[in-house]
Amino acid sequence: MKLTRRRLLGGAAAAVAGGAGIYELVEQLGTSPKRPASGVAAFDEQHLIDLRTTHSEGVEVVVPPLHSEIVTATVEDVDLARARQQLDDALASLESSYDPTTPAGLGIAVAWGVPYFARVHAAAQRHLPFDRRAQKPVLLPTRRFPSDPETTILEQNDVAFLLRSDTLAHIEAAEGVLRGLDFLHLTSVRRGFAGGGFDGKQSLPKKLALAAGVPGADLIPDTSELFLGFTSTQKSGLGPRLIANHETLGYVDLRGGYFHGGTHMHLSHISEDLEAWYLNFDFGERVVTAFAPGQKAKPNQQTVPQGPKDIHDASQMRQTFNRTGRFGHSASIQPTSRLQQDHVGPDGALYPKGTAIPQRADFNTLDNPFFFSADPARDKWTKDPAAGVHFVVFNPTGDDFERNRLAMDGQLPDGTKLDVKPRSRAQGFNSVLTTTHRQNFLVPPRRHRSFPLAELS
Amino acid sequence: MRASLVAVAAAAALAVLFVPGASATGRQCPHQWAEGWQVLANKVQAPVYCPTWMPNPLDAKIGGQYQDIYSIGKDRSYLVSFLEHGDLGSGDVHVNFRGYPGRLSVPKCPAPVGHGTTPCFSNPVAHLSANGIHATVYQVNQGADQWHILLAWHYRGTLYAVSEHVIPPYRFSTQVRRNLSLLLESLVLVRPHS
Repeated sequence: MKLTRRRLLGGAAAAVAGGAGIYELVEQLGTSPKRPASGVAAFDEQHLIDLRTTHSEGVEVVVPPLHSEIVTATVEDVDLARARQQLDDALASLESSYDPTTPAGLGIAVAWGVPYFARVHAAAQRHLPFDRRAQKPVLLPTRRFPSDPETTILEQNDVAFLLRSDTLAHIEAAEGVLRGLDFLHLTSVRRGFAGGGFDGKQSLPKKLALAAGVPGADLIPDTSELFLGFTSTQKSGLGPRLIANHETLGYVDLRGGYFHGGTHMHLSHISEDLEAWYLNFDFGERVVTAFAPGQKAKPNQQTVPQGPKDIHDASQMRQTFNRTGRFGHSASIQPTSRLQQDHVGPDGALYPKGTAIPQRADFNTLDNPFFFSADPARDKWTKDPAAGVHFVVFNPTGDDFERNRLAMDGQLPDGTKLDVKPRSRAQGFNSVLTTTHRQNFLVPPRRHRSFPLAELS
Repeated sequence: MRASLVAVAAAAALAVLFVPGASATGRQCPHQWAEGWQVLANKVQAPVYCPTWMPNPLDAKIGGQYQDIYSIGKDRSYLVSFLEHGDLGSGDVHVNFRGYPGRLSVPKCPAPVGHGTTPCFSNPVAHLSANGIHATVYQVNQGADQWHILLAWHYRGTLYAVSEHVIPPYRFSTQVRRNLSLLLESLVLVRPHS
């Protein structure tokens, strides 16, 4: 749908007046990507969704869903078997209306937190996956990281629903269904958007930030996929199809195999200080901060190649840090987020050295920090929009996520700690990002997505 | 030869007509502010730019209630800033004026990371022309100009700059650029007394 300037400004004014209106603008301001049907009914993995690719500045990039939403909840003290059936029926009903394999329909992933598994303790003891590499459970208690402020809230939700679609109405339908389940007590609703701009037109983050009037909105490059000015969905920078499954890289003891096809999900909300980013970091410093010291980029380039030959290992990272006093965001994570050698998965698939492991599903938001909070005082909720990201990432294990996040703070798995203050601008993005909330979850395979292990307890 | 002479004469006439800041409107440095700017010009032995407009609530009276930094270096470079701290919630308004007599290149500042240096003004994003001045808009600046949008230009072998902080009540860089455009339009040259 095309808008005249007058209609755009009218919509923007409405959005500023009422928070919900901002996200409705996504459909008015964005163009839904064409998505071919996947040809399958549903994937065994809940976290998989077919996302087509396109090219941006000569680099193959994944086209993210226009809309994403997270609904978190606690579960009331109810009969889990009955609740399990009700949730199963509700999800099946949604999937009969909307193709679950593509954002043209509705992607749904149900993820379960530590508090839930405490309720099915006996079965959890027997079946929860164990990380052999880390000698820890795959699902770890949520923690803060060195660059997190003390105010970062470590959440205790039982369950999180990740909803992804190019059509807001599909997500609203799913939210409505979840709200109708009387055993769920919704703790938050988190909304956002990503993309646009690959065709050279003004991107959604730029349009929405301007419409919401957040500080720094006018400084975002026009076609930027995300608020911070760079593309983050380079295909080679995202883990391929099954790599984030527990079983693929051999890190995990799946015990009886109940969670085969599952994965780990970390969810956080991160505030972004756009003014600090664009007024204190010139383009060259933004490039080396987002990627790596010495990273070459053309003036105003947004999509920087991140293929296997472009990545850094730990020794390069240390050398670069010793030489320049800084390390970039990508360079710091790559020693832990990329395969250090070729790997053959249990299905015979070859994953070459340098392949990305995490599958990110992060999206920009104007929530502050959430669209809805059941505990506004605790969450420091306000209706005033603010730039941020709801960060969603799938890794084979919780420890695998922690390795990446610690590396972002200069702490490598071999014990190396690069001498840099936790929120220094020498450390990638950290000086302009503030994590407000965090929680770890397990994403069971689709067959066990509804109240996993409840039937065994 | 005659044609060349005519061309040179014409160019000279244009140069007189288009002295940056020497407003054709006959605008002058406001009476209450003029003395301070004249003293500055005399001290640095170079022309300085006096504004005839300032963002609300500032004035540009050197030695007045809003003057903050007044600094002249051994190399005759100067920084004069005007600041309103809105302690009661009205926000900060902060404007810097700089001049580097005899210097055209952007000076270097300590790099924010590591031990090197970095240009004090960087990330040029646009050009602004007003009042016979052709200025470059810099978005990323260091030192007293950090978080400021800055305009820089040359006049007779000297680099000049004016910048304003992006902070409430001027929350957006677009508002600050509008102010800077008005400031540029308002500048008048104050020449040193010999």
